[in-house]
Amino acid sequence: MVEGSEIRVVRCGGSKINTRAPIITVDSRFLLCVSGDLVKVYSTKTEELVRVLEGHTNQVTGIALNPANHLQAYSCSADGTIMLWDFTDGILIKTFVVSYPILSLYVSQKHKGVIFAIIPMASRTDTECYQLVAVHLPQAVEAEVDAPDLSAVVTDVSANPRATAVGREGEYLVSAKGLMLSVHFFRKQKTYSFTLKASDKKGAKNGFSCVACHPKEDCIATGHEDGKIRLWRNFNHRKEYTYTTLHWHHNVVNSLCFTPEGTNLLSGGVESVLLQWQYGDSKKAMLPRLGGAITHISVSPDGTLYSTCHSDNKITLIQSSIKVCGIIQGLVKGDGVRTDLLIDPRTKALVLNGKPGHLQFYNLKRDRQLYNLDIVQQEYIYEEGLDQYEVVMAAFDCTGSWLATVEERGLKPADLDFSLKLWAYEKKTQSFSLNTTVAAAHNDRIRCLCFCPGGETTMLVTTSKDGHFKAWLLGGESDGQSKLEEDEGDKGEGDCGDAASWSCDFVGSYHSLQPGRSCFAADGSLLAVSFGEVIALWSPETWELLTTLCLPPGDIRDLCFGNQTCSKYLLSTTTKNMLCCWNLLTCSLEWSTAVDVMLLKPDPLSENVAAFAKQDGRTDLFVFKPSEPRPLFTQKAVCEGELSRAVFAPRSQHLDSCEESSQWLNRSQLYILTESMDLLTLCTKSEEDKMATLSKQLVVDKSVAPTPFYLLLGKHRQQQQEKLDGSVPSRAAERTPVPQGSVAIRELLHTPAHVLPAASFLCSMLVSSLLISASDNRGTDCGGTDEEMDSEREEEDSSEGEQEPESRDGQRGPSVGAGDGAQGSVTDHVPKLSRAQERELRRVRRIDYSWLSSLADA
Amino acid sequence: MSLSEYADVRSASAMASDGGSSSQMLPCVFSPKSHQYLALCAQDGRLRIWNTDSKTLHQEYVPSAHLSATCTCIAWGPCRTAKEGPQRKKRKSEAGQLVETTDLLALGTAAGSILIYSTVRGALQCTLDGGHSGTVNTVQWHPEENVLYSGSDDTHIAEWDLQTGKMRCKWKADRTAVTSLCVSPNGKLLLSAGMTIKMWDLETKEVYRKFTGHSTMVTTLCFATTRPPDSEGLYFLSGAAHDRLLSVWQVRSDGKDKNSVVSFTLTDEPQHIDLLKSDSKEEAVRLAVVCKDGQLHLFEHFLNGPCKKPLSPACSVQVSSVGGKSSQDDTPVPVPLLAAALNTDKQSLLLAYGSHLQPVMERAPVNTSERHVCLVRDVQTTLSLSIDTAVSMVKTPIVNTKKSKVLVPGLPGHQAPPKASNQSTQPEKRKKGTRTEMSIEERLEQVELSAVGKGGDKGVSTLQTDSYAVLLVQGLESKDKNILNRIFQARKETLIRNTVSRVPLPAILPLLEELSIRIQGHPSTAHTAVDWLKAVLTLHTSYLSSLPDLVSQLGRLYHLIESRVKGYQQLMRLHGKLYLLMTQAATRGSANKANELDHTAKLVYEEESSDEDEASGDEGLPGDESENWEEDEEDEEEDMDTAEEKQNHADEEMREDSKANGDESDLEPENESEEE
Repeated sequence: MVEGSEIRVVRCGGSKINTRAPIITVDSRFLLCVSGDLVKVYSTKTEELVRVLEGHTNQVTGIALNPANHLQAYSCSADGTIMLWDFTDGILIKTFVVSYPILSLYVSQKHKGVIFAIIPMASRTDTECYQLVAVHLPQAVEAEVDAPDLSAVVTDVSANPRATAVGREGEYLVSAKGLMLSVHFFRKQKTYSFTLKASDKKGAKNGFSCVACHPKEDCIATGHEDGKIRLWRNFNHRKEYTYTTLHWHHNVVNSLCFTPEGTNLLSGGVESVLLQWQYGDSKKAMLPRLGGAITHISVSPDGTLYSTCHSDNKITLIQSSIKVCGIIQGLVKGDGVRTDLLIDPRTKALVLNGKPGHLQFYNLKRDRQLYNLDIVQQEYIYEEGLDQYEVVMAAFDCTGSWLATVEERGLKPADLDFSLKLWAYEKKTQSFSLNTTVAAAHNDRIRCLCFCPGGETTMLVTTSKDGHFKAWLLGGESDGQSKLEEDEGDKGEGDCGDAASWSCDFVGSYHSLQPGRSCFAADGSLLAVSFGEVIALWSPETWELLTTLCLPPGDIRDLCFGNQTCSKYLLSTTTKNMLCCWNLLTCSLEWSTAVDVMLLKPDPLSENVAAFAKQDGRTDLFVFKPSEPRPLFTQKAVCEGELSRAVFAPRSQHLDSCEESSQWLNRSQLYILTESMDLLTLCTKSEEDKMATLSKQLVVDKSVAPTPFYLLLGKHRQQQQEKLDGSVPSRAAERTPVPQGSVAIRELLHTPAHVLPAASFLCSMLVSSLLISASDNRGTDCGGTDEEMDSEREEEDSSEGEQEPESRDGQRGPSVGAGDGAQGSVTDHVPKLSRAQERELRRVRRIDYSWLSSLADA
Repeated sequence: MSLSEYADVRSASAMASDGGSSSQMLPCVFSPKSHQYLALCAQDGRLRIWNTDSKTLHQEYVPSAHLSATCTCIAWGPCRTAKEGPQRKKRKSEAGQLVETTDLLALGTAAGSILIYSTVRGALQCTLDGGHSGTVNTVQWHPEENVLYSGSDDTHIAEWDLQTGKMRCKWKADRTAVTSLCVSPNGKLLLSAGMTIKMWDLETKEVYRKFTGHSTMVTTLCFATTRPPDSEGLYFLSGAAHDRLLSVWQVRSDGKDKNSVVSFTLTDEPQHIDLLKSDSKEEAVRLAVVCKDGQLHLFEHFLNGPCKKPLSPACSVQVSSVGGKSSQDDTPVPVPLLAAALNTDKQSLLLAYGSHLQPVMERAPVNTSERHVCLVRDVQTTLSLSIDTAVSMVKTPIVNTKKSKVLVPGLPGHQAPPKASNQSTQPEKRKKGTRTEMSIEERLEQVELSAVGKGGDKGVSTLQTDSYAVLLVQGLESKDKNILNRIFQARKETLIRNTVSRVPLPAILPLLEELSIRIQGHPSTAHTAVDWLKAVLTLHTSYLSSLPDLVSQLGRLYHLIESRVKGYQQLMRLHGKLYLLMTQAATRGSANKANELDHTAKLVYEEESSDEDEASGDEGLPGDESENWEEDEEDEEEDMDTAEEKQNHADEEMREDSKANGDESDLEPENESEEE
């Protein structure tokens, strides 16, 4: 990329959100998950992206809530830093530089200022060897601090973040690798290790896959490769440990998690079933059919919400009653996209393989999956070695009213089974409906599928490895019955799906060569099919072989026709590094260059063609017009590795860029899917600028009453304000005036909750603030206030204030005894009065007191 | 929501709309810019936000006072973008596109309070209380600042500062209730309307202009251009209750703007308006108005001075349900349109129709060439489809096995129809057509022929086959399944030969067709038909070869046979293998019994010792420390294991035995099959 260029390559969403276990905040309102070099904050209620925490320069590898402050979170990254975030406001609080790539991090309530992290062994960098270290976070005020203070805890640990866990109250740390389970006790500074045999006689694999620790008891749950879960107890004795086995999973247990109270154990594996085991009981509850294999499980700190990560780039939110309450779905990514990237002409959505047997529709603009279209309509069973149908090819016609799909199963050529399905978009019901199924359309695999773009006839061409290509025509049957249907089909615009069906119109072959790519000219008057080194051109109207074009060395890899003014050109690339442009009027070679082009993508809205060439393990992009020898735009190294797919998506609003180099992006946008399944796009500077000017935040006060208690206090505050304004003096007089200590109360109410210290600490502060400032003659009032506050407190919350009254009883006794007559008599009478009267009296007394105190002040 | 519930409420709503047209219109608003969401307050007082892309329910919010203080108006806040600032430092920044997100919604309630709801957080952002004593009729966001305006039944307009959540000021606007508000695109002017329309200067809060003309409450106000007021180019629209006209007013700098400039005719009171504002005189204003009767009218007009005649719509759109099964009586029922939004690309239109509880959203292309467009939609099916999607994100396309066609190899249509030569397909088709037309004549001829034949050959010994031939011809003519079935059941070769030889030539082609259809069908019928086909082909070769369109006539049959025969070899192989297996199984059952007994006795003797060895080895093995501390259960398991192993061992030996036996007997069945 030329520095200062107008056009940049940017990632445009669709990134993975399932690499690490997500965490749910203490109030269960947000879910934090790792996505590339970002941490994303989602709302658990609406599944919307609320905030993006941006700062790491490499893959984020772990996140954890700060145990000291639950509104903060730590994140670690492969770039060797640990960052502390305030995720509610998206502020980076601190950066700790560890300077080793970190693979995961663990925190514990007990170990303050210490983070456990997995880093590669310094001594042996070449081998895959990792160690668990304790990172002591320095207490510096700077935003970026070095944290050089590392101490190894366990050496030789697994890189799998799920194979390490912190035990009950941070007393021990468990790590499993291969067949060995190591438990490190912090108090004893000792590490015990337990090994299992590689396999028992039945051939079950005993290797550890994940561990979890019970939060209240000394119990470790380990998952194994054969699907067993072992619960280890009594492991603080080297010899007398025991374990019990739970077995339901038939394959690797991918993740284990205890609920915060330890009453349940959650487990999940490749079966995509979430199991909830009752702790200390073999009872279990199941939640099946969650989609892809479960890779991570996490539980919210209050235990009300579970979340599971799935291999199909999805996070499922599950209520503790084992009911799915939300799905955060990213762009589904399998091992590869077997269907090409397509654009649905109707919705302008990106269409590609989704869940197994589905096509997913993805909104590029909003980076959000719309839905999956169930093509195969068979229950997908997650089991290894099962050969199931998968959508391997799809194509839309130019109006989006027809969709052709090919589903296939059978890895070996002997048991290949595939069918071609043609779906009509029914306007009446606003959905696709199956029109024709062609079983075994060819004798061998279908290699290419393309619709004829011309207006009058709806035609589909399939090429196959069996040496033939077939043209399928809508309503093209030759007997009388279907002729009638055909007429009807032509008449009604949306009804054609009902009557007419597809049938084969022509079977073509060329010298028994294997056809590869096929492509229609923009007006549908020509069909080009590549046969090895030869391009054969057919007329779809008469099925006449018009001509053949051939430039010997190398087979044809890709071919496409030019659009609009360049429609007389046909472009082809060969396996022998040649890009050829044929003039169709003269049937001769116009030009050719030696570029190893992997993929040609014509822009349907302009005459431009994008070519992706491989060079030195990178992919370069050239954009050119077939009529001009000079490329419009070149971008070296668009992505690392080979490029798998690309597509031009039409823009909803045309850009009006005048720059020559970026003009080709005016009408449509180029999307690229790389080998590592990242979705990239090219973005012009003007576009970014435009977006930047639009990015104005709307700041709205978040002043909603969260709790009834807040409502009470809020009302109180309002009245106080009214009093201050002096607008309603009469009401103010009625009400009990707030004690002088109200400054403290206001402070208490105004400071954000997460900054406040513990309630037990606050209580005494509050009480002391309510006391009248020290003076000799006010000792009695002091006692009075104290008592009153205490009793009220006791009424309000009996749970917290239990200890304090006891401690202050001794104090109170003498002070009351020393009090003046009036006060003393009131307290004497208290026991005889009814509760209501008592309250009334107390109110009266409070007024009295304040009046007195103000008098005293005067 | 269950469908039954939906049906109930729908009927209720239908009653309500029938009962009184004066009932409050339910608010229904598309989110600005890309129309991603549709916010809708239904009869049950709940706020529902629908995603127009996936056409599913996005969120549902129940205001705490949804039954007493119903929501009376909704307004989407201006778009904000997801990111605070441009990130140009990094070359590859995530989310290179800054995604505009619509977040805030202002809801006015009948109780006089205004709620600000955040769709991103799915919760209430804040409540604006204490501003109005009457129902809030309208809320409007300021396009640039954090300011909200609300108009109420208490005749006041309130200005809210959203940053603090407090009311900035409040002023009396009219003698009657304020029913509509609109902030000018530049944010400096505010239109308010009760009976009269007033234009306020927002800085001074003074009346800038007054427009009179409506005799009823003005329900809609909307700016039509973005031009500044001094340029004589600022126009706005107004619509009033029970008024079938939309008026356009020009704000003139000289203040002589007493009457409306242009008016648009509608079929009913306007309910929802969407327009694309024009920036210049050259650009037309595009307007989509949904009326109370559920029709949509599209207008396109260049706003440039007055126009005397009321303008009629360029296009009217209606939605109708499918008649027949879905509704009780067979007549199609109109489906009311709720809202419509114009897309900026001018190509399509976003429609929402159906009930307020379950609206159906659709992007429809604009076609102004037709004056009236009626979209026929199956609302019920659409609804049932969308309900599923909301939960699972999976849409299931309709698969109707009756309607959809299945092509398997051998069926016509799977292979290309054979074409004789370079003849164009057109005359061929015509020829066919004529033949079917001529069939009556032909039939008469046939009848005569057969009658003659019948009469002539009476009493001859081959009477039986002759009558068969007659019967066959009759069956072919009348396409009587019964007759044909009876005839084709004949298996005797001589009978078939005789019958076929007597069939008149014109009947041969229909016979062939009938046979090829039968061959396509069930294998058992195909089996009998093959004999007939053979006879036809051998006896009438000369006739068939004389046909001009032989290839196209017999091509299909050829394809059929080809595809049927394709698997023959593989099937034969499978048959051979299966035969082998079956005979093996049979022979093993009988012949090996005695052998087996001997064998086992021998082996048991040897095994005992070896097994013991193994077991002791097992026990001796555990050198690991951990092994010793394993539980009893485990030991038991181990015991079980060894036991199982024993069995396995035995089994294996058995298998070996059988293999050996199989090898012995292998040759025989193979020979047999080869002989076959």
